[in-house]
Amino acid sequence: MDFSFTEEQDMLRTLARDFLTKECPKAKVRQMDKDEKGYDPQLWRRMAELGWMGLVLPDEYGGMNSSFMELVVLMEEMGRNIVPGPFFSTIALCALPLLEYGSSEQKTKYLPQIAKGEAIWAFALAESSGRYKASDVKLRAVLEGTHYVLQGYKLFVTDVHIADYILVAGRNGDGERPEDGITLFVVDASEPNVEVETIPTIGGDRQFKVSFNKVAVPEDYVLGEIGSGWDIADFVLQRAAVLKCAEMSGACRAALEMTSSYAKERVQFDRPIGSFQAIQHKLADMLIDADAVQHLLYQAAWGISIGSPSSWQIAAAKAKANEAYQRICIEAITAHGAIGYTMDHDIGLYYRRVRAAEFAAGDTDLHREVIAVELGL
Amino acid sequence: MDFRLGEKELALKEEIRKFAEAELPPGWRRSTLIDGECRDFEFEIAISRKLAQRGWLVMSWPEEYGGRGASLWEQTVYEMEIAYWGIPGAWMGISGTQWVGPCLMMFGTKEQMGKYLPLIASGEKDGVWCTCYSEPNAGSDFANLQTRAVRDGDNYIIDGQKVWTSAAHRARWCWLAARTDPNAAKKHHGVSIFIVDMKNPGVTVNPILNYYGRHHFNEVFFDNVKVPAHNLVGEENKGWYLLMQALAFERRSTAPMTYGHFRRVLEELAKYAGHTEYEGRPLSQNPVVRAKLADLAIDLEVLKMFAYQIAWRISQGQIPVYESSRNKVMSDEVMRRVAVTGAELLGVYSQVDPDSEWAKLRGAIQGAYLGFPGQAIAAGTAEIEKSVIARFGLGLPKSY
Repeated sequence: MDFSFTEEQDMLRTLARDFLTKECPKAKVRQMDKDEKGYDPQLWRRMAELGWMGLVLPDEYGGMNSSFMELVVLMEEMGRNIVPGPFFSTIALCALPLLEYGSSEQKTKYLPQIAKGEAIWAFALAESSGRYKASDVKLRAVLEGTHYVLQGYKLFVTDVHIADYILVAGRNGDGERPEDGITLFVVDASEPNVEVETIPTIGGDRQFKVSFNKVAVPEDYVLGEIGSGWDIADFVLQRAAVLKCAEMSGACRAALEMTSSYAKERVQFDRPIGSFQAIQHKLADMLIDADAVQHLLYQAAWGISIGSPSSWQIAAAKAKANEAYQRICIEAITAHGAIGYTMDHDIGLYYRRVRAAEFAAGDTDLHREVIAVELGL
Repeated sequence: MDFRLGEKELALKEEIRKFAEAELPPGWRRSTLIDGECRDFEFEIAISRKLAQRGWLVMSWPEEYGGRGASLWEQTVYEMEIAYWGIPGAWMGISGTQWVGPCLMMFGTKEQMGKYLPLIASGEKDGVWCTCYSEPNAGSDFANLQTRAVRDGDNYIIDGQKVWTSAAHRARWCWLAARTDPNAAKKHHGVSIFIVDMKNPGVTVNPILNYYGRHHFNEVFFDNVKVPAHNLVGEENKGWYLLMQALAFERRSTAPMTYGHFRRVLEELAKYAGHTEYEGRPLSQNPVVRAKLADLAIDLEVLKMFAYQIAWRISQGQIPVYESSRNKVMSDEVMRRVAVTGAELLGVYSQVDPDSEWAKLRGAIQGAYLGFPGQAIAAGTAEIEKSVIARFGLGLPKSY
């Protein structure tokens, strides 16, 4: 057993932390909260120049050929700094399945664009329930000649307003199980029959209802096999759960450090409030939570990086992150007192992102259920 | 990173499983971790002797002292598996195997090592130790200890009272913290560690029954007890550092033991939920039950990773500063949650005497429920541990 990072991983972390501290300060995060696009194309380009978009892509597609663990390290740092933008949508939700399931034509066409930071992707899976269940995929995909015609809508699709392509889960048939008959389609986001409507959220991200009104998709825009879309969705959700968990882990650490520093500086009753055990024990609980997230994250990520993902270790990591991130933010705000409740303070930026982070790649109940099955229940 | 167990550890797991099948009576479940003790000392010693013969009891010690130089990974897996199967005999002399022995190897004289280490390694009654730390006025504020040790020629004379001393009624030897310099500038200076023969005249052990009538701990009186000066461990008045090391050893083993024991309890609870019908369907199909058990599994997984992470830190030659306290707090939390959730699942049967035929899961839940508050206090309360975490993990001011 070995808990250490490689030298490359440590270097990547240092580089990412230095770069993001400088280039993505909280002023930028606030600015992007109000920005129409919600991300800074110049920062996006510079991140691409650092090789981040292509971090885990093979060099033949302009990538850096790094392992999944490197991506986890990078996303921890992004989460710590709340980097606004479509990195998670493009890389975690779309580039990874394109690389795994794409035809060589698809990979040659799409992956180099992604690696260069020239293409943004969005993943459209959830529908009316907003949950990631195969039974929830109702959008119809009917084969007419050489095209599939998509009819239906998707909810809570992130970053679709700036996307060049949308990866859409549709139902082309019905089988015995709800997982049967689901297919993933690549849709050009500029297609006129794709209609986008904002769902305003509390987190400063950009989420949408996307309607597909008889959108015709050529057969070679299918990702993977017809009818095997749920396997791909499952592949995506597992990796996305871990990568979202990485973001949350970085955010937990940031909220903890922010609160710990404040407790050392803020003086009441003639002493720093961090000398009171009521505050100390809160902070100790936060540290234990942050460590818990990190350890389950690394265990799950390591499984993926050696090619044997454990669905229940992934579920444990995401379920723990969902709860711990929320708890840490709430404790952080209350430890700060009224200042923590203000627009000017950074802690609110983290707290407002808790709900979106929880639902990304599965809420706590979904992951608990995976574990319950593993327990033989 | 690599979170695989090595071949040695996997083989050891399998060997311990076979050992448990061969050596324990059918249906054996009574865990010494929670119940305090197995109540059959002769059986416990018989198993302890066998653990010693297998080279497991002190596996991480060097061969010359009866161990086999096993890695901390093997040691951690051993602790998890012994607790998982509820194998007695490993914890009775826990003072000896877990901290007295390792501390003697660090700070003891050649003579002390030559005499006591083989005894501990033998698994025999003469290798059972107790640890005399707490006093009526030295609990969490342990540095306030008042038991005196006064040099008198070739001896020290010990006078004082200790309390909450686990296994003192079984122990042949005592690992004693006593004050040698009452005028030291700071309370934790002027403390020394002694080895005391429990058969010494002037040593009196009185049982203290816990709130459910079990005899696990004691009060120990030292009345003019004469201890040879060569039984001092390390330097006079420098005992505090040694104590911190001993407590670090003690706290390290908490997480693997708790993980092993409660992982087993969780698996039994899951089986119980599967074959217990409620309102026409198994409890295991109730979404609330599924969620609760899943939550326990997640926290147990955290505890497992924490246990391995400390082993890793130590294997790197680093000293885990706040992690030992973190693991203690997490262990306490897991114990509490499994006990309370388990009791909820058992419903009205959770109140049945664990020894009764009416008891479900052979009383494991009641054992945990009755036992966990005591276990949570031993080796440092959560309140103290959290203050330690705040101080050493986050750099906040000392608050105690």
